[in-house]
Amino acid sequence: MLMLRIKNILRVFIILMVFSINVKAQENFTITGLITDSLSGETLIGVSLKFTGKTQLGTSTNAYGFYSYKLSPGEYTLSVSYIGYRSVNKKINVDKDIRLDLKMIPDNVLDEIIISSEKRNDNLINAQMGIAKVNLSEIKNVPVLFGERDILKTIQLIPGIKPAGEGNSGFYVRGGAADQNLILLDEAPVYNASHLLGFFSTFNSDAIKDVSVYKGGMPAQYGGRLSSVLDIRMNDGNKKEYTAEGGIGLISSRLKVEGPLSKDKSSFMISGRRTYADAFLAFSGDSSIKNNTLYFYDLNAKANYQIDSKNTLYMSGYFGRDELGLNETFGFGWGNATATLRWNHLFSNRLFSNTSLIYSNYDYKIENFLEENSFKVNSSIRDLNLKQDFQLSLNNSHNLRFGTDLIYHRIRPGEVQPGEKSSVNLIAVEDRKGSEIAAYISDEWEVNEKLNIVYGLRTSSFMLLGPGNFSSFDRSGNITATSFYQDGKLVKSYFNLEPRISAAYQLNEEASFKGSYTRNSQNLHLMSNSTASSPTDLYIMSSNNVKPELADQISLGYFRNFNDDKFEFSTEVYYKKLQRQIEYRSGTDLRANTNVEADLLYGDGRAYGIEFFLKKRFGKLNGWLGYTLSRTERKFDEIENENWFLAKQDRTHDLSVVGIYKAGERWTLSSTFVYNTGNAVTFPAGKYQLNNNTVFYYSKRNSDRMPNYHRLDFSATLEGKPGRKVNSSWSFGIYNLYNRKNAFSIDFRDDPDDASKTQAVRTTLFGIIPSVTWNFKF
Amino acid sequence: MGGFYFKFKREMRKIGVEHKSILMLLAGFLMLTSCEEVIDLDLQKAGPRIVIDGSISNQNENHVVRISKTIPFDAPNTFNGLKGAKVSLITPGGTSVSLSEISDGIYRSPQFRGTPGMTYKLEVIAEGRVYTASSTMPYPVLPDSISFKKLSFFGNTRIYPNVYYKDPAKVQNQYRYILKVNDKQQADIVFEDRFNDGNNVSDLIIYDSEDDLKPGDVLNIEMQTIDRNVFKYYYAIGQIKGENGPPVAPANPESNFSNGTLGIFNAFTKSSVTITLK
Repeated sequence: MLMLRIKNILRVFIILMVFSINVKAQENFTITGLITDSLSGETLIGVSLKFTGKTQLGTSTNAYGFYSYKLSPGEYTLSVSYIGYRSVNKKINVDKDIRLDLKMIPDNVLDEIIISSEKRNDNLINAQMGIAKVNLSEIKNVPVLFGERDILKTIQLIPGIKPAGEGNSGFYVRGGAADQNLILLDEAPVYNASHLLGFFSTFNSDAIKDVSVYKGGMPAQYGGRLSSVLDIRMNDGNKKEYTAEGGIGLISSRLKVEGPLSKDKSSFMISGRRTYADAFLAFSGDSSIKNNTLYFYDLNAKANYQIDSKNTLYMSGYFGRDELGLNETFGFGWGNATATLRWNHLFSNRLFSNTSLIYSNYDYKIENFLEENSFKVNSSIRDLNLKQDFQLSLNNSHNLRFGTDLIYHRIRPGEVQPGEKSSVNLIAVEDRKGSEIAAYISDEWEVNEKLNIVYGLRTSSFMLLGPGNFSSFDRSGNITATSFYQDGKLVKSYFNLEPRISAAYQLNEEASFKGSYTRNSQNLHLMSNSTASSPTDLYIMSSNNVKPELADQISLGYFRNFNDDKFEFSTEVYYKKLQRQIEYRSGTDLRANTNVEADLLYGDGRAYGIEFFLKKRFGKLNGWLGYTLSRTERKFDEIENENWFLAKQDRTHDLSVVGIYKAGERWTLSSTFVYNTGNAVTFPAGKYQLNNNTVFYYSKRNSDRMPNYHRLDFSATLEGKPGRKVNSSWSFGIYNLYNRKNAFSIDFRDDPDDASKTQAVRTTLFGIIPSVTWNFKF
Repeated sequence: MGGFYFKFKREMRKIGVEHKSILMLLAGFLMLTSCEEVIDLDLQKAGPRIVIDGSISNQNENHVVRISKTIPFDAPNTFNGLKGAKVSLITPGGTSVSLSEISDGIYRSPQFRGTPGMTYKLEVIAEGRVYTASSTMPYPVLPDSISFKKLSFFGNTRIYPNVYYKDPAKVQNQYRYILKVNDKQQADIVFEDRFNDGNNVSDLIIYDSEDDLKPGDVLNIEMQTIDRNVFKYYYAIGQIKGENGPPVAPANPESNFSNGTLGIFNAFTKSSVTITLK
């Protein structure tokens, strides 16, 4: 049955494709090439190329700086543009296949408005919607907590993306949960993207080249998560000369070194960062304070080797760790390690191939040193991943992408190992193993000058594999059967078809309509009913009890540019339907729990909203304004009598304003303001006494609101005098300028001074916080 | 730093990782700007709900069932007793023992002893509705000894009572401790043997009070063995407070009463020890 269905769908797909590819007798030629930065030799991602002949046609470079485009013979003007670089205009005569590599010169002075004759309106033409690209220069200038530049904090200023909490690098996209975001660092999934429990992200922006977020209209090459894809690419390393740059901040310092291994052929980049917050502890005379540890560090490294014009190898890795220790009683460490090996190969000037071998591991360790109760816990999730992607330029109106993705997951939920003299028993919770096999094909089709369509299909299959004991549970959580499966034996499999389509219709030079529909499935589920994310949150796979989560999203948008594309405006409406969402019963203990699936509840979700985005793209003053009006709800059989209730990520209004102003030669001033409705939470609706303790009574779930959140931040950067050998700059920042006491949490308790009363206590994490960082580069 | 210490008491729970206290600690370290403040909140006032807190022990005593109604959050903490309910304990043999109301909402049985291993039923008829719950009295486990342990967290050194006992092997056991210091209740916590089944176990009794224990204090520790549902009920209450890990989205703990009313019926065994701290 299933196979039949797949066959039918594939048949429709093939027919559609064959019809859409109009076979012309006329011979076409291919123009291909690599676009790089003229100073560092870094490949540039997403550079826009326009071929103006009888008509205007266009493409952009892929994640490896490569482009390929099929053109009919003739004379064209090629215009190449990329933010932060001088545009290139070139006359080309297409009478044979052309290889054209281009070097783009960075604009030192970003603000100088070079309004060129060509249009900068890719945002209108491109069928992709729900995408946000964050410019690294914006990340550099947006004020952040403690002066630590942060990709994840910056993307939270984009409409539709909301922080999971104060100072938290976790985020919710269009009503999805935090685990429904696929976070990729050089294609490797990062399972826990935060340091110090969320105050910092694991992404050291020194090492980052490009950041794209897909909130909707997910291209078919991405899968495995319901709500978003955050695709982060690391710097390749300078191919021309050795450079070093770094910064010394209040709580952390960074250093990056890069340079050629062999000129123009091969380069490397190493970037590291460490915090020293705990250094202050040493000043304490008290040994119970002095002996605490608290720090994180991370290391990014990458090397590439361009074998010839057809083959390039990339090797990249990330390693980061947090360590927390409490005075010889308690130790806690967690971190990610990823490694990616990639091979770019050009089969022909029309067929580009990328093969990636990827490793990703997240683990945490807990150690308790209290004699009788001493123990150790080790837990990890590890992925081995082989990916093959092809890009084929068929003719000047079709660009195909297809490929496969094989992932082998191993989850080690945690083993409790007793210490010497300990009364704790060895408890081993079985590992879980599973494979995901996905294949995709998509076509970017320029139907005519006005209409662009990207349509595709992704198939995703998941297999849960032995060895282990697998139990089934009834609705109240009792075991109904347990069977043992041998190593590698299939326990349960799921198959999902995920159609993806998005289209852009250009109304005129300055405006377009877009629409998209996508389906996504997810087979890894994060168990967390807590109000904040924690390094100990547990991942489980789809199983005989847990079915894959599904999401269908429809979005429509209107895009318009003003004033010679200086202003960009967009509005998108979305509706997202979520199936098989997971919660758990109250009182569930996730720690080393062999039967965690017994306590799970399954339900549906829906999220809808409208987003507005206005951006000033060039000029002395630039920045953006984003506003979202939205609603997110969940429905479970066992919760609220099957009525819809607000999800914890529901926030009615969400506003962010970012302004960056270049004041003179050396000063850059920037400011952000955020305002959002407080999260939906459950507060007590009454209380009662139970054995001399006050217990609170809760009525409807999430029917209360945290206080509204708002905050104004400011930062100023002073660049050193130009022309010096060592280029240095100072960054000054003020977080929460007007010292707003935003609630991180509100707790309810008996008044410590008068036990006959109860009180609500608001915890504020950050008042006004100044910061200063010194950055250098030579 | 007192606040940190207060928050950190939970660290010591067996595997608990107190999320919020770590956050507080970090924030505090980084800039010492975090703060706690009592605020006014206009909370919803749900109509009163019935709460039943009943128990039967293995001691020859009057078993007490307390029936009350919830009160608004901003009202003074009082036991809002419910008068005129019909309360009976049903023994495993099917005999029904009725309880008499001795004051508003407090119902008392005649003196008798519950038997470990037996399942007891509580039936309450209040405001025209019938509420029933049952609980199985576990076998008793007695403390072997009690010692005191000194622990330091962030400049505060405190002593905590530590109860030693032998956990019966291959049976799921749950324990509850009620600590009274100078007749004032300071702790009510539950443990289970999931991590130390069959071993010589020591449970650390972590107490809430801001005051440290000092010589001359009279401590009374009551050790109970409780059934699984009762454990889960108290565990859920602790979880909402942020014990045993990050605070969870609050919800009413799952009661063992039919009709989804609030409260718990607990058939338990108890033994208690009184010590004067030297």
